[in-house]
Amino acid sequence: MSDPREITRILFENFQPQAIYLFYAFGYAAIAVFLYGVYTQIRKYRRGQPDPSWGGLWSRFVDMAKTMLTHRTLKRRDRAAGSAHGMIFFGFVLLFIGTSTITLEYDILKPLTGVTFWYGNFYLWFSLVLDLAGLGVVAGLIYMMYRRKWLKLPKLDYTRPDRQPGDPDFDRSGYRREDWAFLWSFILIGITGFILEAARLVWLSDRPTVWDYRMWSPVGATLAHAMQGLGLTPEGASAMRGALWWFHGLLALTFIACIPYTKIKHIFTASASLMFRDPLAGRRLPKVPEEQESAGFKQITDLTWKQLLHLDACTKCGRCHEACPANAVGAPLSPRDVILSLREFANKALNAKELPEAAELDIHGKGVGQVFMETLWSCRTCLACVEICPVAVEHVPIIVQMRRKLVEDGDMEPILQKTLQNIHKSGNSFGESKRKRAAWTKELPFEIKDARKEPVDMVWFVGDYASFDPRNQKVSQAFARMLHNAGMDFGLLFEGEMNAGNDVRRVGEEGLYELLASSNIGTLQSCDFKTIVTTDPHSYNTIRNEYPDFGGQFEIQHYTSVVKQMIEDGRLKLKKKLDYRVTFHDPCHLGRYNKGFDAPREVLKMLGCELVEMGRNRDNSFCCGAGGGRIWIPDPVGVEKPSQNRMKEAGAIEGLQVFVVSCPKDLTMFEDALKTSGFEGKFVVRELIELIDECIEYEVWEEAGSEAA
Amino acid sequence: MKILVAVKQVAALDEDFEFRDDELDVDEDFLLYDLNEWDDFSLEEAMRIKEASEGEVEVVVVSVGPDRVDESLRKCLAKGADRAIRVWDDAMEGSDSITVGRILAAVAKKEAPDMIFAGVQSSDQANASTGISTAAHLDWPHAAVVAGLEYSPGASKAVVRRELEGGTLQEVEVATPSVLTIQLGINKPRYASLRGIKQAAAKPIEEMSLGDIGLTPADVGADVALSRVRRMYVPPKGRAAMIEGTVAEQAAKIIAIIKEYKGE
Ligand code: SF4
Ligand code: SF4
Repeated sequence: MSDPREITRILFENFQPQAIYLFYAFGYAAIAVFLYGVYTQIRKYRRGQPDPSWGGLWSRFVDMAKTMLTHRTLKRRDRAAGSAHGMIFFGFVLLFIGTSTITLEYDILKPLTGVTFWYGNFYLWFSLVLDLAGLGVVAGLIYMMYRRKWLKLPKLDYTRPDRQPGDPDFDRSGYRREDWAFLWSFILIGITGFILEAARLVWLSDRPTVWDYRMWSPVGATLAHAMQGLGLTPEGASAMRGALWWFHGLLALTFIACIPYTKIKHIFTASASLMFRDPLAGRRLPKVPEEQESAGFKQITDLTWKQLLHLDACTKCGRCHEACPANAVGAPLSPRDVILSLREFANKALNAKELPEAAELDIHGKGVGQVFMETLWSCRTCLACVEICPVAVEHVPIIVQMRRKLVEDGDMEPILQKTLQNIHKSGNSFGESKRKRAAWTKELPFEIKDARKEPVDMVWFVGDYASFDPRNQKVSQAFARMLHNAGMDFGLLFEGEMNAGNDVRRVGEEGLYELLASSNIGTLQSCDFKTIVTTDPHSYNTIRNEYPDFGGQFEIQHYTSVVKQMIEDGRLKLKKKLDYRVTFHDPCHLGRYNKGFDAPREVLKMLGCELVEMGRNRDNSFCCGAGGGRIWIPDPVGVEKPSQNRMKEAGAIEGLQVFVVSCPKDLTMFEDALKTSGFEGKFVVRELIELIDECIEYEVWEEAGSEAA
Repeated sequence: MKILVAVKQVAALDEDFEFRDDELDVDEDFLLYDLNEWDDFSLEEAMRIKEASEGEVEVVVVSVGPDRVDESLRKCLAKGADRAIRVWDDAMEGSDSITVGRILAAVAKKEAPDMIFAGVQSSDQANASTGISTAAHLDWPHAAVVAGLEYSPGASKAVVRRELEGGTLQEVEVATPSVLTIQLGINKPRYASLRGIKQAAAKPIEEMSLGDIGLTPADVGADVALSRVRRMYVPPKGRAAMIEGTVAEQAAKIIAIIKEYKGE
């Protein structure tokens, strides 16, 4: 065996010193361009507002590393693309480490200390690993090209639902060109790298320290043999290497220089975005600081640095675009496009040395990069976008912040204005008298305690829909019977209860939300109780996640987990089993918002129902369209509503009998959609409570002659 | 340039209300107060003129009423009114709309506005006379039920479109200063966000007493009212029934009903 020190990477062999200097000059230039780009990007982010997401940096880092190493978020709902990305990513990381170690030895350690390590077995193993890494990168890139060219995925169609054909940037073709430029240059770097390696092998085929170990670079060696087979001589290879070397090297340096200016920057921005992700994004919206003059986002500089970073992290993967219920029914909203519009806006306005004038920072309007009012009002704050984004872009807080500005300016549907005024005046969205809030209890054969007057174990926060909507009142009555029957010690706030404010907040009427929240918190704090229960996932979310910001720390449960517990404890006795074939719709605010996926399913199982899942279930549940205050704004006529879209999905289930929901708003939305989408008579929509109710026999009261059951 | 907008806090009935023991009004407990709907439109009209104008336009809202009225005035401030004035004295209790017009006119004399806007009517009392009586006390021209307005600050005339019966409009020229009573639908009132209302809480509401506007207790109150409430009540439900059937059957039924009433 030859001296291991001889078995090493051929670096600048046969290069004129001038050529080497020239190469270094290019290298430094590339690094300078790169660094300048990084500087301007950081300057851009620093033009945003402060963000509270600092803190816990180490655990943030660990989370980010885990997400990146497992590629978990990238594989969701698109395994193939996730795996291909994994190959590119890990290949790239290995190649990067490999190249860095060469630099470490050649440019730092050797000149300074004389230490070298890049030879012998270390070198051989490294060349094998890097060879395979390169292969992974090329294979991954080929799949990406195939996917873009032939799979025709709707989510990769950049055409914008919020713009008309002919509008500037309607099809975002610039992005498409960038994608292809990226793929081609990257793959060319990979391929020329291999050919270069093969050429080097052919060129030095008479040098045993090179040729005898060629199989440690299997791809290069295979190519070398092929090239020899085609008649390439060592001299020819030498000449070829010279030319290719420069091509490969300059392309790679250009690539590096381009990172901060092109989509390649997602290497950094996506990682940082993941690192600063807010686990409660959208679930708990940001407060408006007391001293702040006007609420919400008007200018691009109103976004926080983290949000500006999110804009740059988006890789246009289209997962949010595909998941968005507004987009699915043709509303002028795609969460992806909101992010991209704002990104373009930020790049135009904030990359310059001087900030432009305030007027040119306005992100609302009809111009390029501005976001339409109709776009913002189309959002149902269902969180499907935030939940699926592989790089932790948080769309909903940005959308709501922008809506806050619209609300302040009164830019909203008159009917929504009316509803907000009603809520302000009467504390409920129905505009009913406060006194009527508990009117639904009158038909019950027992009295419900007033939690404001006596201590109870459990306060039931009923919510507007369950209190005032006649159809939902029936459900509330059934739940009351259930609690009473199970001997639970519970009470209501009666007219002390106000709209919980979840949707008011998501509309963007923060002042009204503050009023509602503090009023409810005050009322709750004056009561003596252990936990809160609610049948309304919207109230559940805001009390659980948002009231703490206003000083209201309460334990709250959605009824599904309470009922599950009651059945398990034997407090609630099921007298019969149901043999329905059912499907379950996860309410956004219970499921995606608060991970309450299992309790309702387990209850359904206990009832004996056969649960057939819809394609979009659990975290991918499809919003009924009522969220974000959209229940108060009628959907346009003549086009499909999200709820109808959902009905069609359920209708495809063979022999479906019951479409089960566990949210008052869902009941309203879907019972309506059942009729309008032509499934009436095929299956029914029921609240889970109603199914449970079927299984309980309230003999005692029936004997007493009541009609309660 | 100044526009005075007269507003009123009106009462709406809550569910299952009860009357006061003296049967002259609804029990205070069952009343919900809010700004009169018409006033949203008249304030908006003033705000539009202010916002469209190059020169300085001051919008001053004025209301006659007790402390609780401040809440409605704040809403006006939140929508952008520059100042708010509340006139009150316990002696004013029981004033009729003509007297309220007199009080408003006295305020107008102090404020010297170029225009006065008022709502066509209030949703609770529906007299539709306060604005007009203000004009009468000032001896100013006036136009009622204005559904369209062309006026630029400082002009000596305003062109108004008045709503008449049956969907007809009457275009009238009015000399200024004048009093216009503004109809619903003339514009799209803006929304006062709750934050705006909260922030308006910091703005002062000027209070004026009888003395400030040069009136005495003898000029106002129930004693000088030209009308007084004798009783407030819910009328017994009338009976109406649709009579179905052929013409002959209907006639037969009607005859039967008449006979029943005559006691035959
Ligand atoms: S929250 Fe829902 S409706 Fe709004 S943009 Fe995201 S996916 Fe679309
Ligand atoms: S925001 Fe996230 S999910 Fe949407 S396109 Fe961008 S990277 Fe994909």
